Amino acid sequence: MRLQINLSPDWFLDVEMRAYPQNEPVDFCIVGTGAGGGVLAQRLARKGFSVVCLEAGKWMDSERDMVSDEAGARPLYWNDLRITGGDEPLQLGANNSGKTVGGSTVHYAAFCPRLHPSDFMVRSLDGVADDWPIRYEDLEPYYEAMEREYPVAGPAYFPWGKPHSYPYAPLQSGTAGHALIRGCVELGIPVVPGGPIGITAGTFGKRPHCIFRGFCLQGCKVGSKHSTLVSHIPDAIDHGAEIRAECMAYEIPLDSDGRVTGVRYFRTMDEGKYEEAEQKARHVVVAGYAIETPRLLLNSRSGSFPDGLANSSGLVGKRLMAQAGQVVWGRFPTMIRQYKAPPACAETEEFYETDPRNDFVRGYALQSVSPLPIAMAHLLTEESEPFGWNLRHLMEEYNHYAAIGVLGELLPDERNYVSVAPETDQYDIPVAYAHFNLFENDLKLIRAGVQRAKDVLEAAGAVETHYVNRYAHLVGTCRMGDDPRTSVVDQFCRSWDVPNLWICDGSVMVTQGSANPAITISAIAARTADYIATMARSGDL
Amino acid sequence: MSQRAGDDPLANPTLVQATKKRPVERPIVAYPGFHVLDQQEHWDEATRQVIMTRINQVPAFRFFKPHEIQTLQALAARVLPQDDRPAEKRIPIAPWIDQRCYLRLLDGWRFDDMPPDDEAWRLGLLGIDEVAIASYGQQFILLRPDEQDHVLRTIAGGQPPGEVWRNLPPRRFWIYIVLRQMTSIYYAHPTAWDEIGFGGPAYPRGYFALNHGYPEPWEVREVRLDETSD
Repeated sequence: MRLQINLSPDWFLDVEMRAYPQNEPVDFCIVGTGAGGGVLAQRLARKGFSVVCLEAGKWMDSERDMVSDEAGARPLYWNDLRITGGDEPLQLGANNSGKTVGGSTVHYAAFCPRLHPSDFMVRSLDGVADDWPIRYEDLEPYYEAMEREYPVAGPAYFPWGKPHSYPYAPLQSGTAGHALIRGCVELGIPVVPGGPIGITAGTFGKRPHCIFRGFCLQGCKVGSKHSTLVSHIPDAIDHGAEIRAECMAYEIPLDSDGRVTGVRYFRTMDEGKYEEAEQKARHVVVAGYAIETPRLLLNSRSGSFPDGLANSSGLVGKRLMAQAGQVVWGRFPTMIRQYKAPPACAETEEFYETDPRNDFVRGYALQSVSPLPIAMAHLLTEESEPFGWNLRHLMEEYNHYAAIGVLGELLPDERNYVSVAPETDQYDIPVAYAHFNLFENDLKLIRAGVQRAKDVLEAAGAVETHYVNRYAHLVGTCRMGDDPRTSVVDQFCRSWDVPNLWICDGSVMVTQGSANPAITISAIAARTADYIATMARSGDL
Repeated sequence: MSQRAGDDPLANPTLVQATKKRPVERPIVAYPGFHVLDQQEHWDEATRQVIMTRINQVPAFRFFKPHEIQTLQALAARVLPQDDRPAEKRIPIAPWIDQRCYLRLLDGWRFDDMPPDDEAWRLGLLGIDEVAIASYGQQFILLRPDEQDHVLRTIAGGQPPGEVWRNLPPRRFWIYIVLRQMTSIYYAHPTAWDEIGFGGPAYPRGYFALNHGYPEPWEVREVRLDETSD
C-alpha cells in the first residue's frame, strides 16, 4: 500500500509499503511500535524476516496531525478506559501512555540515560529486588548503537554509571534548565547540561535541528526529537516491514502443540467502525508497554493457560513498577518563561547509587522538567487545591516558576500489579486494572529526593518551593529471568512457556534504576533481534 | 549580561510573598498589549485550526439539564472567576464540560472508587446543592459568592453532608473532576495565555530568547500590579 506521511518539514515519506496477506503466516507479528516494537521491527526486517506490526493508534503526520498546543496533543495519548487503584493510584493517561505509530516515544521528553552497572545486580549489592539475568556489559554495545541511531546528544564525558561519551553535542538549555544547573553548581553537585537527550542540535538526515519551541511532550512537529516514528520505523518499512495502524490486538490464539498462531485484532475501517481480523504468524512479539502487554496476555486464556497466556509462573502483570516522578517547583523573583526550550535539558545522577549514609537503598536522579500552562495548573491544584482568585494569582506567576523532576527508583513488589477489570472498552475487551502502592524504601527515597530538589531550587534563587507526587515510566509486568518459575521470559525476551512467543518492551525489566527507560527498552530489543538472527541461522529458532 | 539572579535587570524587586492572605479580586500581573493571537501568521495551519476552533466553535449544551447547567456555570464562576472581563471576553468553561460528558471523553484512566466522569459530574452537581441546602437552606445558585465558596471548601474538606457523597468520594471529585477539568479548559485558551504571558504556539518560528527569562521581540515584559494593590 502507498504510505504518504510528513515526518518533518523536510521529510515527506512517500513509499510503497508491503501489505502481507492475513492468512499466510509472516515470520513475526509484533504488537506495538514504540521503543521496543519499533526497533525490533526494524532489526528483524533488516535481517530478512517478514514482519507485520499491529499498532492500536494512528499514523501522526507531523504537519497535519501534530500541533503546537497542549490540549491539542490529546490524540497522541491512550485515552481509552483503564482503572487505577491502590494506595497511590497511577494517573495512566497522557505521559504514561501512547497510542500512535511510534508509541509513547512520540511524546516522551526524550531523556535517554543508560542504566548503571549496579542496576543489573541490586539483589547482590543491596539485598533488594532481584538481579537481572544479564549484566550492563550485555547491553553496552546496544546502548552505543541506539545512541547513534536515535541519536542522543550529551556531554563528551558523562561521569555516572560506567562513564562514557555521547556522539552528538549537548543541546542548549533554557532558563528553567539553568535553574537546575545553577542550583547544583551552587551546592557543588556535578550536573550535565544539554543531555543525554534524543534531540540533536544539528540537522540529522531529514530531521532538522531543534527550534526550542518547548512542545516535546506534544509530539515534535520539527522531527528533531527522537521517536521510533522518525528513527526506526521508516527504515523498517524500507526493509519490507508492514506497519498496520489502527489495529487493536485482543487475543493471541494457541494451537494444540502449545504454539501461538498469530494475533486476533480489531481493525478500524472508517471512523468508529471496525472489523475483526487475524494475522497468522510463526512468531508473535508483544510490545505493548507494561499495561497493555499483560492485558493482552491475561485476556488470551485457553485450556493450557487458564490464567492467561505464558503465565505458568503467575507473574504476568505482577511487579508493576513506576519511577518516582515528583515534580518540585520553585517560584523565582526573576523571569523564567519555562515554556521555551525542550523540557529535558539537564540532569544530575549524583544521587543515583546506594549511599550508606541514607536510610534507604538505591537512589534518584534530578532532571529538568518544564510544565506548560495546563500541566502547571494541574500541579498547583493538586498541591494546595486553590480556587477562585487564589488559583488565578498562582497561575499568573507561571513565568516565575522553574521545576525539577525527581526520577527515583521504586522497588518491584508483587502487591503492585496489572490485572483485568470487569469493565470493557469500546471494543468490548476487558480493560486493565493497575494497582499501585508505595512501600517503606520508596517513601524514604522520595522524601530525600524531594528535599534535594528543593535545596537545589533554593540554591538557584527560588523564594518558595512546592511539590506534587507523580509517577512515570511504567515497566516490569513480565519480568525476564533465569528461572521459568520466577520469571515470564528469558534473557532474550522469549516466553518460557510458549517457544514462539516473545515480549519485547519495558515489561521485561527486572528493576528500573533511575534512568528513563526508552533507550534501555530499545537496547534490549536490538539484542533480542541479534539473538533471533543467530538462532535462525543455526536452525534453532 | 550576568546570569546571576540578583543582577538580572528584568527581575522585579518588589515581588510580594505568595497569596496566603485573602486575595485581591483582580489580576496581580499584566503583560500590557500582549495578544498571542496577533502571532497567528507565524503558526502552522494545523495548530491555528485547533485553536481557532476552540475559540469560535463553543459547543451547545447537550448533556446537562437546565438546572445542572446553572449550577455548573455558578461553580465555574467560583473556581475561575472572570469578573474582571466583559462577558463576551470570558473563557467558556461549562460548555466544554458538557461536551466532554456528552461524548464520554476520557483521559485514559478512572479511579477504582469513582463512577464514570459523566456520572460523577451529574452526582457532584447534585451533591453541591445538597451541601448548599444543608448549610444555608438554599440551592447553590441562590447563594452569595462567599457562601458558595464555603460550600466548595466543605466538599474539599472531604466530609460534606448529603446522600450523594456516600457514593462519590468528595476530594476526588473536587481535585480530579472539578479543578483538573476546569483548569484544563481555561488554560487551553489564548485569553488565559495573554493573562499569564505564555508565548503559545511556536512552530515553525521557534523561540530564540532562551536565557535569563528574556522575552522574544514580539513578547511583552511583565508588569506587576500587586505592590500597589492593597
